[in-house]
Amino acid sequence: MKLKRTLAVLATMAAAGALLSGCSTAAPAEDGKTLKLWHFESEDSAMGIAWNQAIKTFEEETGAKVEFEAKSFEQIRSTSSQVLNSNEAPDILEYNKGNATAGLLASQGLLSPLDDAVKKYGWADKLAPSLQTTARYDDKGVMGSGSWYGIPNYGEYVEVYYNKDMFAKYGIAVPTSYDEFEAALQTFTDNGVTPLAEAGAEYPIGQLWYQLALSKADRSFVDDYQLYKNPVDWQGPELSYASDKLKEYVDKGYISKDTTGLKAEDMGTSFISGKYPIMVSGSWWYGRIIKEATSFDWGTFLFPGSELAPGSSGNLWVVPENAANKDLAYKFIDITMRPEIQALIGNNGGVPVAANTADITDPKSQELIANFNTLTERDGLAFYPDWPTSTFYDQIVAATQELINGSTTPEEMNTQLGDQYESGVADITGK
Amino acid sequence: MLKPHRQKPRRTVGDWILLIAVVLVAALIAVPFLIILVNSFKSPTDYANGGPLSLPSSIYTDGIANFWQRVNFPEKLWNSFFISGTVAVFAVIVSVFNAYAIGIGRVKGRVWVLVLFMIANTLPQEAMLYPLYFMFKQVGLYDNVWSVIIIFTVVQSAFGTYLLSAVFGTFPKEIIEAASLDGASRWQILRRVVVPISRPTLSVLLIFFFIWTWNEFLIPLTFLVSNANQTVPVAITALQGDRLMDVTTTSASALLGLIPTLIFFLIFQRTLTRGITAGSTK
Repeated sequence: MKLKRTLAVLATMAAAGALLSGCSTAAPAEDGKTLKLWHFESEDSAMGIAWNQAIKTFEEETGAKVEFEAKSFEQIRSTSSQVLNSNEAPDILEYNKGNATAGLLASQGLLSPLDDAVKKYGWADKLAPSLQTTARYDDKGVMGSGSWYGIPNYGEYVEVYYNKDMFAKYGIAVPTSYDEFEAALQTFTDNGVTPLAEAGAEYPIGQLWYQLALSKADRSFVDDYQLYKNPVDWQGPELSYASDKLKEYVDKGYISKDTTGLKAEDMGTSFISGKYPIMVSGSWWYGRIIKEATSFDWGTFLFPGSELAPGSSGNLWVVPENAANKDLAYKFIDITMRPEIQALIGNNGGVPVAANTADITDPKSQELIANFNTLTERDGLAFYPDWPTSTFYDQIVAATQELINGSTTPEEMNTQLGDQYESGVADITGK
Repeated sequence: MLKPHRQKPRRTVGDWILLIAVVLVAALIAVPFLIILVNSFKSPTDYANGGPLSLPSSIYTDGIANFWQRVNFPEKLWNSFFISGTVAVFAVIVSVFNAYAIGIGRVKGRVWVLVLFMIANTLPQEAMLYPLYFMFKQVGLYDNVWSVIIIFTVVQSAFGTYLLSAVFGTFPKEIIEAASLDGASRWQILRRVVVPISRPTLSVLLIFFFIWTWNEFLIPLTFLVSNANQTVPVAITALQGDRLMDVTTTSASALLGLIPTLIFFLIFQRTLTRGITAGSTK
């Protein structure tokens, strides 16, 4: 009968369901034989290449098997707190640094403190102080002090990319001071070229604004702004200078007014296609520009006249509290810190944190890493403007857009941002 | 002589305006597809130098090949197909049972049941995420395709029940009475009378459920942790990095993600139009 057949089909389906579900319930146990590893770097990026080698070395040396899964940034960001709280947690994963991300997970008890491993393997000696800031979080999840929760493998920082051909065309030398930099911008504008590639709808404009503030700032300003050590004066010399200058850049035509609608991707491609001669942005573009900017000669320099620059450690290796094979995870982290793996990062367009300079053979990479080392030697990594509170990114984007449109004055912008900053910080520190 | 065949009707101004409007709307809808298509076959250098709107200077298929290999696309395709197919079938079955009781059986409190389904329908998925997460973790179905199948069977059948109840509410009583006079049991009425007559509506539901489930993102992203369980829309995001995006490979992935639904739609297009225009009784 038809009815019976239908019922039989349904029953079979249900049974199949039960069978399938049965497989995944087993809790992982420490076996010392497999390392479940997640990261979100693409295969041919500097980190992707170096970590692939690290996986090979790890398997050879320990005899354990690495179960690697490539994840997307978005996936790890939006599902981590649930995954790490379950038996499906990996043994080690790459995670975004910062208070709102790694700090939050650490404060929820989802990450293992790494203090013992740091002591055992001596990682602290390999990392510059401003790189360590993002690796340590206190019990509220605020970076800079407390236990170690992550180990960075690479660094990143904001610098100035410039189109050598266009500089040569207008007879402009590489600026060594801020005044020369502004003179260069003026020369381009006089010749009808908008000098700065920018993007007002995403992070780049905020980073330029912060870079301008940093050119008038010292480390104690950064500690106040980022680590909440003292209240920040939003009408003080650093931040009002930054907002005034940004306004001036727009008024003088150094930045196009249309920039408010542009995304970082637009900024990058317009520099790569040779439309703008200068781009102030992060080292994360480096590998891509090497590959894609083939129609002109280009170079980089640190923002002139500034001791500090936006930048930080890269993303972190973290070990979940629920990880089954923590010892293997520590062993793997140690391998990624070795000079040969670090050199791989350096020779492929990344910024290694613990490489021997002699191992870096590619001339373009030497320039990138030399600039980074100059920065870390003078303790110059100042993190990013949007880090202090979880909503500050959008607020900075909105505020700078209004400034560029001319709907607010620099002063009003600083008052508005100051209020938003203070209420956001109050939520975190509880003061 | 028969009435002469009328001359081709002259197009009025209104016709032309309508035609232009249709062409414009069609072009607007086609633009995103065309941009995806154009950029899928460009190399990153080509994209950076020519922008998103230029035609590729040479056909470049590495983007598609890379994405295919990196995410193991056939596996994702099978996962999506299995999940969407199972959900579509289950959700239609559940909807039919529910709607039979509510629309034809006219059980007590049916208005309240429908209101409840309505509310369930308007609930945003984000709000259900945590409760569902804890429930499925408890029963050991976290990171298992069956968690997503169960969730979407319920979600889709909530809508299906709501819709079908209205359809069944207008079901001609005479047919059912005739059937029960002939001695048909309730079960037989459902199987022999109600389901065959409403088959066009049910096919439309099935197709919609399939496509809706196929396009779901948030819940598969959250519940299917392992790469081996992932669906096509989740796999597409695998290419977006922290600060950089690879436009050409992302376009290629979007193209690959789009093709299956497009094929599915083309196959069932006639069923869809037939279902929408079909009357309730034959």
